Amino acid sequence: MRILVLHAHPVRESFNGHLHRLIVEQLEKTGHEVDDCDLYGEDFDPRLTREERLAYHDTEVNIEPVRSYVQRLQAADALVLSFPVWNFGYPAILKGFFDRVFLPGVSFNMVGGSAQPCLHNIGKVSVVTTYGGSRLRAWLVGDPPRKSVTRVLRAIVKPGARFRYLAHYDMNRSTDVTRSAFISRVGRSMSAF
Amino acid sequence: MNILVVYCHPVEDSFCAAVRDTVLTALGEAGHETRLLDLYAIGFDPVMGREERRHYNEQTGGTHPFPEHVDHLKWAQGIVFVYPTWWYGLPAVLKGWLDRVWTPEISFRIDKDSGGITPLMTHIHALGVVTTCGASRWWSLVVGHPGLRTLTRGMRALFAKRCRKVVMIHYLMDVSTQASRSSFLERVHTRMLKFR
Repeated sequence: MRILVLHAHPVRESFNGHLHRLIVEQLEKTGHEVDDCDLYGEDFDPRLTREERLAYHDTEVNIEPVRSYVQRLQAADALVLSFPVWNFGYPAILKGFFDRVFLPGVSFNMVGGSAQPCLHNIGKVSVVTTYGGSRLRAWLVGDPPRKSVTRVLRAIVKPGARFRYLAHYDMNRSTDVTRSAFISRVGRSMSAF
Repeated sequence: MNILVVYCHPVEDSFCAAVRDTVLTALGEAGHETRLLDLYAIGFDPVMGREERRHYNEQTGGTHPFPEHVDHLKWAQGIVFVYPTWWYGLPAVLKGWLDRVWTPEISFRIDKDSGGITPLMTHIHALGVVTTCGASRWWSLVVGHPGLRTLTRGMRALFAKRCRKVVMIHYLMDVSTQASRSSFLERVHTRMLKFR
């Protein structure tokens, strides 16, 4: 399987950085072809520009500024997102990837004013993430990042695609024990991908 | 009341710009002091860099990367966000503004022992969110309004305990008409006259 890994954390030595390396290593070991896209490493600019917004619905030209990312997304059979939850959302660099690359003609087509999802090459999605706050607090807020994946993304990719959402909540109170348990969980999930 | 209007859209003559102007006019007519923060116009970079992230938890007011934005936050008693909803969420530029400006010791304090969060923006008593959205109301409800909730639940928890909230959304933007847009602007004007 060809898997696009989207990673969004600025610090290589961070817990998320460690998880990212584990993800890539385990997926490759299992024999998958991994396209490792480290958004910080590739200096991805998440700002949808004025020109991009004006040409947004023009499927002839809208992919030009991000053509290589569109090709990588369309070449993938599965997607793995690796990021920390900041302020109950994606880090801006990852949010901007959706804003700029998930374009009309790429992830959906506009048909009579309504969006018809079409990113049907993606048959599986896994998320590996961390939250500063507890699961209860995230739930009270409505857990926006979880919904951005299990509802927004689920509606765009292949119908019936499998989803895994692996989250370490409460990082502000995490210990070596909770972190290693999470690392094992991620490792197992990636080996079984 | 001092009201900070945070605006985020890349196109200067977009519908969102008209919404922003309507909000500013109505707040002015109601006698409020307003400040506008136009994130695209000032070229705000939403990407939190490596060094900033490494020292995020040790930040003090004095080492903040955007002191002028901190000044806006401290000045404000009300805050109104005007932006387009993209992928059910906040535009990356606005999300990054929250990540880079609303830091520990400015917006909240993380207790070293318990890991609990203490809000530090309790001087803010009113939150407004005025946004446009391509999807319908019912589908946005099914999805759970993730972008909106980042603001109305996530960030609002850092404001005063009984912080008031106003949310106005023009759904189905892709099939909007001149009439639906004008009527939305009228409603925004009427509602913002009473914003407090």
